[in-house]
Amino acid sequence: MAAPLELSCWGGGWGLPSVHSESLVVMAYAKFSGAPLKVKVIDNTWRGSRGDVPILTTEDNIVSQPAKILNFLRKQKYNADYELSAKQGADTLAYIALIEEKLLPAVLHTFWVESDNYFSVTRPWFASRIPFPLSLILPGRMSKGALNRILLTRGEPPLYHLREVEAQIYRDAKECLNLLSNRLGTSQFFFGDTPSTLDAYVFGFLAPLYKVRFPKGQLQGHLQRLSNLCRFCDDILHSYFRLSLGAFSCMNRNQQQIDLGEVHSHDSTT
Amino acid sequence: MASGREPGTPPPSRSAAARRLGLGNPRARGGARRWRQRKRSPSTVSCAGSSWPGLAVTLGSSRLHRRPGGLCESEPQPAPRLVAAGDAGVSEEDAEGREERKPRARGRPAAMSLAAEAFVSQIAATEPWPENATLYQQLKGEQILLSDNAASLAVQAFLQMCNLPIKVVCRANAEYMSPSGKVPFIHVGNQVVSELGPIVQFVKAKGHSLSDGLDEVQKAEMKAYMELVNNMLLTAELYLQWCDEATVGEITHARYGSPYPWPLNHILAYQKQWEVRRKMKAIGWGNKTLDQVLEDVDQCCQALSQRLGTQPYFFNKQPTELDALVFGHLYTILTTQLTNDELSEKVKNYSNLLAFCRRIEQHYFEDRGKVSSSVKSS
Repeated sequence: MAAPLELSCWGGGWGLPSVHSESLVVMAYAKFSGAPLKVKVIDNTWRGSRGDVPILTTEDNIVSQPAKILNFLRKQKYNADYELSAKQGADTLAYIALIEEKLLPAVLHTFWVESDNYFSVTRPWFASRIPFPLSLILPGRMSKGALNRILLTRGEPPLYHLREVEAQIYRDAKECLNLLSNRLGTSQFFFGDTPSTLDAYVFGFLAPLYKVRFPKGQLQGHLQRLSNLCRFCDDILHSYFRLSLGAFSCMNRNQQQIDLGEVHSHDSTT
Repeated sequence: MASGREPGTPPPSRSAAARRLGLGNPRARGGARRWRQRKRSPSTVSCAGSSWPGLAVTLGSSRLHRRPGGLCESEPQPAPRLVAAGDAGVSEEDAEGREERKPRARGRPAAMSLAAEAFVSQIAATEPWPENATLYQQLKGEQILLSDNAASLAVQAFLQMCNLPIKVVCRANAEYMSPSGKVPFIHVGNQVVSELGPIVQFVKAKGHSLSDGLDEVQKAEMKAYMELVNNMLLTAELYLQWCDEATVGEITHARYGSPYPWPLNHILAYQKQWEVRRKMKAIGWGNKTLDQVLEDVDQCCQALSQRLGTQPYFFNKQPTELDALVFGHLYTILTTQLTNDELSEKVKNYSNLLAFCRRIEQHYFEDRGKVSSSVKSS
């Protein structure tokens, strides 16, 4: 495919190419499957608040959600899963469902709902990337969207109050992390020696939790105790993203386009 | 109500006057009243399970007690009497405390619920499974919907697999009787547990478990596949019932509101539809078309079929709760008649899943003389 594939997503910080989980999933998958992706860091659109980010733009179509983007890339013959057996493919779907159901509410809570974290880390970061006056509105909308999602999916009776829901979702998230750690064991990736879709999803959800420094991160503490998951994130960052810590600084608003092509050319695994 | 004490024997060192005034247990002096009640009456509050929403609640709770046509007649609730009897003080305080419990429970710290959970599990473990355990669901013929039927069948299959006797009772207000608002729920002894997750934990606390023989990795896989079924199959069923206009108009509204008079039937149906649509939008299914939903169902069935392969059950020889859950959903999809047959066609593409459903139906339902429930046989 010679047509350029352009991905619009939130930018990076703390050593990550992107701070947004779903964008990171797509970027990791593109690296694993060898798709040449041009990353465009967005900052001034309403799309972020509607949850449409990341967006893949090609010449003729626009694809919006991570699952659909991955399907699209697979159809373009960028497939990271061709070495998996049928059962492993089924396991991938199941573990992705587990992550979305158990881990995602707690990650959303840590980033967007926990007031210490939100006001000292998340909101300033996003506000610095969105021009005035949207910077006053968008982070608030994203936070309300996250709270809404948590309460609608997990806040069913009799857990009425947010505090009780919090206890439940953190417990579930810790259990999910333990399960993932047990599954990974000592191997380098989840299915053998080559990374696949499941590795992209796990990396996408864990890496922001691992790298971003929060004042109140009980889930982060739990993750740091699971050394094989931390080693997994570090391995992927070093081999596929090859970033020095200074390359993506928090306040680098002038960097509009990051051409991953030149980093891509250093990879020998594609 | 209180464990280990015969009704009629007064508790030690408590005067009748003290009980009447609601001052009670000297052990808990100075503690919160709520905690005192919890210590005295068994199986109060929280969940025996940890990874799923839903609670186990005593039959003394206000919700059940107030419902007409509910479970009151079977519950030996002593009338509040100011006589020196062991349980009277308990029931009085419960009667007063119950009304207050709900608002106070909202501010309850999380650590308390963990301790209460352990307490409940202990209580659950001491009593064996009674003969008169009942499962409540909505009316089979006119009211129950696809997703509720699937959940109910999954619980029935699970209890059959554990060899625990259960009687199925159909009530129009089952959804409102349930402690978490979801059907089905089971009434065992003096505890009420709803939804498959907490029921599995509750049964495990009583000493019956289907997944003990699995190692850690297999347990992780089982949990992941159960989430997959809930995430995809259950959400697709809810979408089809409440967000697809054709089905909503022809089937769902009529069935959901059938026990109620006009205009309550319309109001309740619209309210529920609004709630479900809000939830769908929050999880990103609001903009999906029916075709995309059916594609997701197909993907899910393909994953289940690949995982099952040629084995009799998902984890080889012995059935687990995953088998019960998958059976519940697939059997209901196959045997429910909707406006079109696309959903069941997607499942019928996978012959090993069909054989799996037939095997479980024959082994656990027909052989034991029970007829498995179905809304309309296709």
